[in-house]
Amino acid sequence: MKKLALSDDILMQIDKPARYIGNEFNSVKKNPADVDIRFAMCFPDVYEVGMSHLGIAILYDMLNKREDTYCERVYSPWPDLHNLMKERNIPLFALESQDAIRDFDFIGMTLQYEMCYTNILQILDLAQVSLLTAERKNDDPIVIVGGPCATNPEPIADFVDLVYVGEGETSYPKLLELYKEHKKAGFDRAAFLRAASKIPGIYVPSLYEVTYKESDSTIESFKPIYDDVPAVIERQVVKDMDSSSYPTKMLIPFVRAIQDRVVLEIQRGCIRGCRFCQAGMIYRPNREKSVDILKEQAKELLASTGHEEISLSSLSSSDYHALGELMDFLIDDCLSEGVNVSLPSLRIDAFSLDVMSKVQDVRKSSITFAPEAGSQRMRNVINKGLTVEDIIGGATLAFKGGWNKVKLYFMLGLPSETDEDMQAIPRLANDIAAAYYDTVPKEQRQGRCQITISTSFFVPKPFTPFQWAPMYEAGEYLRRAKVVNDEMKAQLNQKSLKYNWHHSDVTVLEGVFARGDRRLCPAILDAYKNGCFFDAWGDFFDFDKWLAAFEKNNISIDFYAYRQRDLDEILPWDFINCHVTKDFLKREWNNAMNAKVTPNCKMNCNGCGAGIIGSGVCHNAR
Amino acid sequence: MRVRVKFEKTGIMRYVGHLDLMRFFQKAVKRSELPIRYSEGFNPHQIMSFASPLGVGLTSVGEYMDIDLKSEVASVDGLSRLNENMVEGLAITSFKYLPDDAEKCMSAVTAASYVVTYKDTNDDACYIDNIADLKVKFFDEAHEINIVKKTKKGERELDLKPLIYRFNLEIVDGVPIYDLLLSSGSTDNIKPELVIKAFHEFIGLPEFDDLSLDIQRIDMFTGEPDSLISLGDIGDEH
Ligand code: SF4
Repeated sequence: MKKLALSDDILMQIDKPARYIGNEFNSVKKNPADVDIRFAMCFPDVYEVGMSHLGIAILYDMLNKREDTYCERVYSPWPDLHNLMKERNIPLFALESQDAIRDFDFIGMTLQYEMCYTNILQILDLAQVSLLTAERKNDDPIVIVGGPCATNPEPIADFVDLVYVGEGETSYPKLLELYKEHKKAGFDRAAFLRAASKIPGIYVPSLYEVTYKESDSTIESFKPIYDDVPAVIERQVVKDMDSSSYPTKMLIPFVRAIQDRVVLEIQRGCIRGCRFCQAGMIYRPNREKSVDILKEQAKELLASTGHEEISLSSLSSSDYHALGELMDFLIDDCLSEGVNVSLPSLRIDAFSLDVMSKVQDVRKSSITFAPEAGSQRMRNVINKGLTVEDIIGGATLAFKGGWNKVKLYFMLGLPSETDEDMQAIPRLANDIAAAYYDTVPKEQRQGRCQITISTSFFVPKPFTPFQWAPMYEAGEYLRRAKVVNDEMKAQLNQKSLKYNWHHSDVTVLEGVFARGDRRLCPAILDAYKNGCFFDAWGDFFDFDKWLAAFEKNNISIDFYAYRQRDLDEILPWDFINCHVTKDFLKREWNNAMNAKVTPNCKMNCNGCGAGIIGSGVCHNAR
Repeated sequence: MRVRVKFEKTGIMRYVGHLDLMRFFQKAVKRSELPIRYSEGFNPHQIMSFASPLGVGLTSVGEYMDIDLKSEVASVDGLSRLNENMVEGLAITSFKYLPDDAEKCMSAVTAASYVVTYKDTNDDACYIDNIADLKVKFFDEAHEINIVKKTKKGERELDLKPLIYRFNLEIVDGVPIYDLLLSSGSTDNIKPELVIKAFHEFIGLPEFDDLSLDIQRIDMFTGEPDSLISLGDIGDEH
């Protein structure tokens, strides 16, 4: 039997021991003695969440295709195991070899959401690696992070050695080659970091210095310490999605993952330009895969995994140029063998309803709309190209097709939002319910229709036109939810409506981290030391501990979250070139304030800056 | 046509629970491209059933799964195609076509055999010199073995004696090894831990930790206690 890092005694007392044994089908096994580089690829959240992440699957496959590299996986141990590992001094291990990751060359982590920042510290702490980059020695692993939150890595600048900005497929080979050279020549950490800073997309936080204005404590300057270190970091972008590395096999977890299915990425980026959406900005330009490649990949992945469901991954599936052809292929060639297709992020129209009726049980499933805002004015502010006619029309079609459940997603606390905008949310839901009773004759109804409204609170993110916008205090978010709730009770069809809202403390913290700077690092460290981790999980989140950590380190929530930023302020992430220019973002902010809609990239190029990359929608014929 | 697949679940696979194992097999069958039959209806699923679930922490060399095929596959083929889709700790050992009237493995099980040892040779039970004689008193000479069994609905009195079909104890290198054949299945499902616990109480070791035992299921049987037949002996290779 393969050796395990955890004893039988520990495995038998923790929840879901299969999270920690590795051995999954399609996992890669190599002899560590045969490779030059050992890479621990970590998703800083629990196994079931991490195993569902496509980015990790792509990088795991890509790195392991290299003969010189053994890439293994690590996820955050659940608190029950965390405590035992601390108590018994067991170092965190990688799943494949079960070896301690403190002996690896790299610990790589993907940052998908801000609330995992303390989990980064948990990983390093359990790995028994110094939490601070300044304290790491020559033989400690290189800690590198990537993912969407790496577009503002400043709140974790003290903890990481390297930050990878952009899509991993591009610069990792260069970085690994450089590492090998340095290892052969006798490794010197400082020299390696300095050399790595010259690789496109690699940011070395310790090589930069920030000064702050005394007047308002905003940033005065942000610059490299040495002349040969680049002042601007260029986000890395895959130019050709067809030839870029994509796994033909995916790991099959024993413990049921969030995504228990094949995930097929059909395109990257989005043409839509919703002003709140960070992904829509930082993954520009929109780049599609060819439909022939997708057919091949779908077949291969279904055969190598045995999954009975395939899901299309995209920010907006309806915009994919050959969705009809791809769906026909999936339905004709895959459905017959008991395979299901799931279609997230579809706009509701006759085509998508037709497809959905072929792949799912109409009676059980619900139709999802994400209008994000209730009033047309507000939808124009956020540039959600969706009119009330689109929504009611789509819902009516769905009702005719036999659906009677509708889910609606909205945001509260958007810039310039008034009480009237909030009240428009339940009114829209009411109109949808009314459309049901108008459309479906009494004798054909299966009881009432069910319209579920969900609201989350808006958090301004870097590299979006709303990056300057203020947030509200937690109490104000609850008031906004109450406005919606009260208005819902006044609706004629209120018996058909249901309202869920998210809690707001986490929202404020997320807001602080999203636009934070490196002055937050000591507070995050203190919060972790006082027991904060798994903050993304409601059960473990302790806002008071965070308030205490902020107070101790003189962090003003007001400064980071509630303040309206000046358009000319130096923002902590300004040194990153995401290829979306600040001029474009300012223009979009002004358009938002005037409730002016900007057409999508397929209708008209709006000169956001991403055209410079030379691929995707900007260069295809419109 | 129905196929009975026998397999082993050993080593690190002991930490994978029954539901997770079932999902693993659904995907493995799909990958192996066996012509499995699907149920009718809007959410078709593979027609597949497992004999009595094995608890987390236990290993087994005698597990069973029945699957329905749409067309025949040579047994050697089926066996190797499934084995190509296993992981360390799971191995397919037989692939047999069942007669039409065979009972499904899920409901057929009436008994199961186990080998039980102590994980740690420092366990108190390993230091009882006359443990073999005590076992004779506890089992061979007893007319009844009354215990209180905790169930979902509360507690109930139970006489274990008629439900233990075999209770052998051998000492190898000073360490007791139990060989048990117990009533199993839906009505009187007797877990080996329960029997060893009763024995521990009898020999004066009431502080019992069932995690101290290493339990391996050896096989599962169907039929009456006096004419048990292994689930693996039913059917033929084609
Ligand atoms: S350059 Fe034009 S087409 Fe390209 S992403 Fe920007 S706005 Fe869209």
